[in-house]
Amino acid sequence: MKVLIVEDEKTLAYEMEDFLKKAFYICDLAHTIKDGLEKMEINSYDFILLDLGLPDGDGLTLLPKAKKYNPDAAYIILTARGNLEDRIAGLDLGADDYLPKPFSLLELQSRMQAIARRKFNVKEELLPLGDFQLDLQKRLLLFQENQIELSRKEFDLLSYLFLHNNRVLTRMQLSEHIWGTFADDDYDSNYIDAHIKNIRKKLNAWAPTDFLETVRGVGYRIKK
Amino acid sequence: MKLSSKLILFITSSKLAVVLLFIISLPFLVDRIVSEYTNYSLRRQQAKVINVVHKNGIDHYLQGDDNYGSYTMLKEEYIALEPASAKTRIDTIKTAQRVVERDTLTYRILMHTFSFESKNYLLEIGKTTASINQYNKPLQRIALYVLMGLIALTLLFDLIFTRVLIRPLGKIIKSKLINRKFPFKDYSPPVATSTQDFKYLDESLIQLMDQINEAFEKEREFTANASHELMTPISILQNKMENLLGDEQLPEAVVLRIVEMMKTLSRLKKISNSLLLISRIENQQFVKSANIKPSKIINEVMEEISHRAEEKELQIHINLKEDQLLKNVNQDLLFQLFYNLINNAIKYNVAHGSIRITDEHKKGGNYTITIQDTGIGIAEEDLDFIFDRFRKANLTENVGYGLGLSIVKSITLFHGIEILVKSKVNEGSTFSLIFPATDR
Repeated sequence: MKVLIVEDEKTLAYEMEDFLKKAFYICDLAHTIKDGLEKMEINSYDFILLDLGLPDGDGLTLLPKAKKYNPDAAYIILTARGNLEDRIAGLDLGADDYLPKPFSLLELQSRMQAIARRKFNVKEELLPLGDFQLDLQKRLLLFQENQIELSRKEFDLLSYLFLHNNRVLTRMQLSEHIWGTFADDDYDSNYIDAHIKNIRKKLNAWAPTDFLETVRGVGYRIKK
Repeated sequence: MKLSSKLILFITSSKLAVVLLFIISLPFLVDRIVSEYTNYSLRRQQAKVINVVHKNGIDHYLQGDDNYGSYTMLKEEYIALEPASAKTRIDTIKTAQRVVERDTLTYRILMHTFSFESKNYLLEIGKTTASINQYNKPLQRIALYVLMGLIALTLLFDLIFTRVLIRPLGKIIKSKLINRKFPFKDYSPPVATSTQDFKYLDESLIQLMDQINEAFEKEREFTANASHELMTPISILQNKMENLLGDEQLPEAVVLRIVEMMKTLSRLKKISNSLLLISRIENQQFVKSANIKPSKIINEVMEEISHRAEEKELQIHINLKEDQLLKNVNQDLLFQLFYNLINNAIKYNVAHGSIRITDEHKKGGNYTITIQDTGIGIAEEDLDFIFDRFRKANLTENVGYGLGLSIVKSITLFHGIEILVKSKVNEGSTFSLIFPATDR
């Protein structure tokens, strides 16, 4: 998958590139609207990550032109402005998603995967997780033919860990994903433990859950 | 009491006092003037008589008799001249009765002795008091009518002029002070007046409001800019740490430190986010167009945070009218509002405590939602400050960042909701939201 990051804050652009490369995306960087349009003219991208406050103008103005060059790309708006109007305008202009800064790179990646599933019709079908199978589209966890009942939050947690497998996710990152901006560190990081305990209990009834590891003092990880 | 009423009252009562004083003193005044004038005219007549006597001799009157008397037809005036003993010396004016042809009448009498050709005479000139006083009554009446008419006229002029004079002040009060809510965004034109003082007052008020607005605007701008400017560096830091954490070669001790750093950064992020939210609300960047049921929104909030209540084993009673609708509100903001209040009710509650969420219709169409907890409560001296930014009331360290209630306050202000707090330490707090009556 090819990604164009249009972001004038270079350090931030490099961090995003760094992260996405490790997740096997191919990245290009552009720091201005002009630069971005040139790159779009030449190359074809699957994802375009677009900052709104660019030195040579508002990123939103770039969107219609960009759609001409790359009609099939998925557009995600990344902005520190966080205005409701920006969000509405962006989605009206055909953006696929909107992430207010500061965002977690993990969140960005999970949004990109969700868009990929939806937009590019990536048929992942059933994903193996230990002896279980995960259906992200239908939001199901299966053991052989049996469906395992998980609550909405439990499924969110498990699939988020699954998407970022082999990576330790902190309780905070998990709670932020589940509760968003309403997350309250003091309570919810503890509550993550309770959720994980429940997930383990439900899964252990069918098969061992060695893949779901606790990393002491940090958080949890799904090992593949 | 309004200034105009005071002025009118004063003007009217002062004029009434003048009239009253005049009415009381008028008879005395008239009497006095009349008697002075009578005395004067008697003296003049006396002088005339003496003059005639000196010119023509005493016989001009006596004609050989030893006394002389004469009176007008209706006995209103008389004059008498008679010899007097040499020792008598009289020169006086008095009121006394005299018998003139069997009629006893009261006269104002001038008595004067004088000597002529070594003989002493007594001169008496009299005027009936009835004839003296005959004009008193009509004079008084006319004077009174004229005065009352003049007073009424001036009163009318005064009232009209006062009204005209005071009108700009009323306009200033109406346009600048009443019906103006902070922030003073709507432009109010200067009041037209030729009175320097009012002009000055009006200009000063406009200036003051502009200054307040400017200061408020600056604070708002600063909050928006500062929190916004913080977002990019926080983004960079967060992403750097996330990338760092993805490195599997890192020793455990370093990983733990990075996690600590991320926690701190997340706190910073929350503060900035909250400030940004407050400034957005204050900048009116939200639309109020949703009509929602409070029971629905509170259920959504409970779904989101019931796990926190479960952890403390709190009992939660929700008793809300199902068909109540809140009109012209912002759904996200109302969610935040209830979220923050219920979250606080959980956060500051004691284990096994309870939370009670009820509503009621008040007379006058107001609708109230009350959130009552059995928590640690708020000390009375802190109650005034709980909505201030970054103030923490009576809390153990690191609980909350002091912005939750500031957000609540700005959301209620934005929606015109009144919020009341009652609290007792160690017994709990009650937050009441009074929604304005909506037109059905």
